[in-house]
Amino acid sequence: MAPDVTPPPEIICSGLAKTFDGRTEAVRPTDVTFHAGQTTALVGPSGCGKSTLLRMVAGLEAPTAGQLLIGGMPPAETLQNAALSIAFQDPSLLPWRTVRGNIALALSLARRPVDDAEIDQLISLVGLDGFAEARPAELSGGMRQRAAMARALVTRPGLLLLDEPFGAVDELTRHQLAQDLPRIWEARGTTTLLVTHSVTEAVLLSDRVIVLSPRPAEIIADIAIPLDRPRESGIERSPDFGDLTDSVYAALSRGMTLDRPPLAAQ
Amino acid sequence: MTGLSLVHAGRPARGMTARGYGAWLGVLGLLLVWEALAHVVSGAFVLAAPTEILAYLVEDRGLVTRALGVTLGNAALGYVFGNLAAIALAALALLWPRSERIVTGLALLVYCLPLVATGPILRVLFGPGAGPQITLAALAVYYTTLIPLLVGLRAAPAGWFDLVRSYGRGRWSELVHVRLMASLPYLFAGLQIAAPAAFLGAMVGEFTGAERGLGVLTVRAIRALDVDMTWGVATVATAVAILAYVGLGMIARRFLRDAPPVILAAPASDTVRDSGSGWKAAIGVTVIALAGWALAFWVFDLNPFFAKGPMDVLDALLLAEDAGATRGTLAVALSETAVYLLPGYFAGLAAGAGLAMLLVLVPVIAGTAMPLAIALRSVPIVTTAPLVVLLLGRGATGTIVLVAVMVFFPTFVACLHGARQAPGQVLDVFDSFAAGPVSRLVRVRIPAMLPAFFAAARMAVPASVLAVTVVEWLATGAGIGSLMAMSASLSDFDMLWSSVVLVAAISALGYALVGSVERRILRVYAPEQLT
Repeated sequence: MAPDVTPPPEIICSGLAKTFDGRTEAVRPTDVTFHAGQTTALVGPSGCGKSTLLRMVAGLEAPTAGQLLIGGMPPAETLQNAALSIAFQDPSLLPWRTVRGNIALALSLARRPVDDAEIDQLISLVGLDGFAEARPAELSGGMRQRAAMARALVTRPGLLLLDEPFGAVDELTRHQLAQDLPRIWEARGTTTLLVTHSVTEAVLLSDRVIVLSPRPAEIIADIAIPLDRPRESGIERSPDFGDLTDSVYAALSRGMTLDRPPLAAQ
Repeated sequence: MTGLSLVHAGRPARGMTARGYGAWLGVLGLLLVWEALAHVVSGAFVLAAPTEILAYLVEDRGLVTRALGVTLGNAALGYVFGNLAAIALAALALLWPRSERIVTGLALLVYCLPLVATGPILRVLFGPGAGPQITLAALAVYYTTLIPLLVGLRAAPAGWFDLVRSYGRGRWSELVHVRLMASLPYLFAGLQIAAPAAFLGAMVGEFTGAERGLGVLTVRAIRALDVDMTWGVATVATAVAILAYVGLGMIARRFLRDAPPVILAAPASDTVRDSGSGWKAAIGVTVIALAGWALAFWVFDLNPFFAKGPMDVLDALLLAEDAGATRGTLAVALSETAVYLLPGYFAGLAAGAGLAMLLVLVPVIAGTAMPLAIALRSVPIVTTAPLVVLLLGRGATGTIVLVAVMVFFPTFVACLHGARQAPGQVLDVFDSFAAGPVSRLVRVRIPAMLPAFFAAARMAVPASVLAVTVVEWLATGAGIGSLMAMSASLSDFDMLWSSVVLVAAISALGYALVGSVERRILRVYAPEQLT
């Protein structure tokens, strides 16, 4: 692969907070550093504010308080340099473009030359061989999600933000993607932030799991995942893995007992 | 705001199916019944038989072809200008989002101007020539293109914009990569509806004293009580309207690689969160409209005999010696119009919604009825008005029926589509409880139909006002439409301008009133359509 990978940045949040409409507090003032080249998973109950945190890092949501530095720069500059990619739970493919066209779009938005060979390689990597010229409507939910992943990776971002990227994918594909995709960003040393509901996925994919409380989000546990890489298939059944998922579950349960507005009110 | 309802009319079958043959046999049978009926009532001077229509068209083919050519030319120019104006206004609203409410508000107000009165006024302003026809054609199309286009430009899911922004790109990239492409189906839907509407505008323009055109032939036929000619001209106009609609649909299909979407009804253009800003927008629109009106007179230095400004109308309605008499005349005319308009409006809504419900219970017929209704919806009122008047007379019945017909088709199409939008999983739940068709209709399909119904009811307000004023003008000799026609021919321009202001204001208020009911309904039944 071409060597022009954007260097992975370190992300420093100091007192970062978000309140919507001056009323709904989504993220409590948070101090956290996401280390360069690491994969960090953000885990928490539905609607807790983890996506809001991710969107602030992506520069798509302005914080109401605090400071955010990505590689020493504010998010707006990271955006300008097209140094980050984001993949959402909804694949957000443009229906009038083919799979190849959607992936190429990311390159042209990032003002990079369109490299057909690299696109083909990624299409093959995410298992969409033979579907390069298909339009999103002709693909299954899982295939669309894989196309969206290819689009996120094609610009070789230094920072990869994944918001429930496997949410709409079937269990088998999910397992396969969880095996294949980390190899790409690990090899590139990408800083990766992953928002997920799945504790297993969080432990399997990341170097560190941050557990958030119910809304408004605050960090209630910061758990290192010292499992070796690459992580082989079957690692989920090892005792170490079980211990780690248990501690994440324990932190999540602790969070649920905090004094919070009832879920129904969210 | 993503509330524009679209429906795909479905691809026509490639080969001739049994249903295709059935449809042709149905048409043939209808023609035979029509022929027979026409001979039975031949003494009554109401109905021309298909053979007589054909005979007239063959005999006078030179006259009809020349007239058609003139009308088509004017309609085409108006179509181009009107749609360009719509695109320019949409661009303004997009570039400067704060202006959107004012743009849509002013656009609605201008759309609500009664063509029946703006026609004669334009005739005086332009003098002889094609100016009024082209202007009216443009006025008849720009609103129905503007509103869907505005919706289309914002119809894309938020994720697409996030995607563009996550690569650090701004509004220009959003426009190029997302908005323009996402708005194409909406633009084509608007352009398709605009084609027959432009033809209607051109014909109304010709009523105002043009020298050539199908509108001129219509007026001549009605005056001469020439039944064959009336039916012949109406047949040609109807055929052209449907062909224009279908032809645009085919072009759209080539571009979109899909069946053309059919606009059911544009969404509430002012989805207000707090009613306060709605009032502010309304006041802003009124102020700008009045200022623009006054400014136009000053800039163009129009003859004060026929060009009346806001102060003249205020004077005529409130200050002048005969202001009381003017108000009295207007009140009588408006109450006469209300007697035609309101029953027709509500009957059209009830019939449209009722038939849609009935067809939901009998889905086999619905599949055939939908494309037919979509085609008939495109028939301009002007082409059918003389026929309804011939058939039902110049009294209340004919007018009410015409208004009802005008309201019926869009309501029917919208409601049928809305009822079919009922979420499949909810219906499955009902099935699992062995719920009968009536229970499904009442508890699922009717609630699912409500947003479409109210959108149709809102758009039907200006349409029914147009219908009633055209018929009053052409035939009944009563009501505000007739008063405007009389004022125009008697050069009573104070009265004419006052009528225009009143009709436009009432029409826009009615639209806003239905829109506010609609928003209450949407808040419960379709909150995703309010943003």
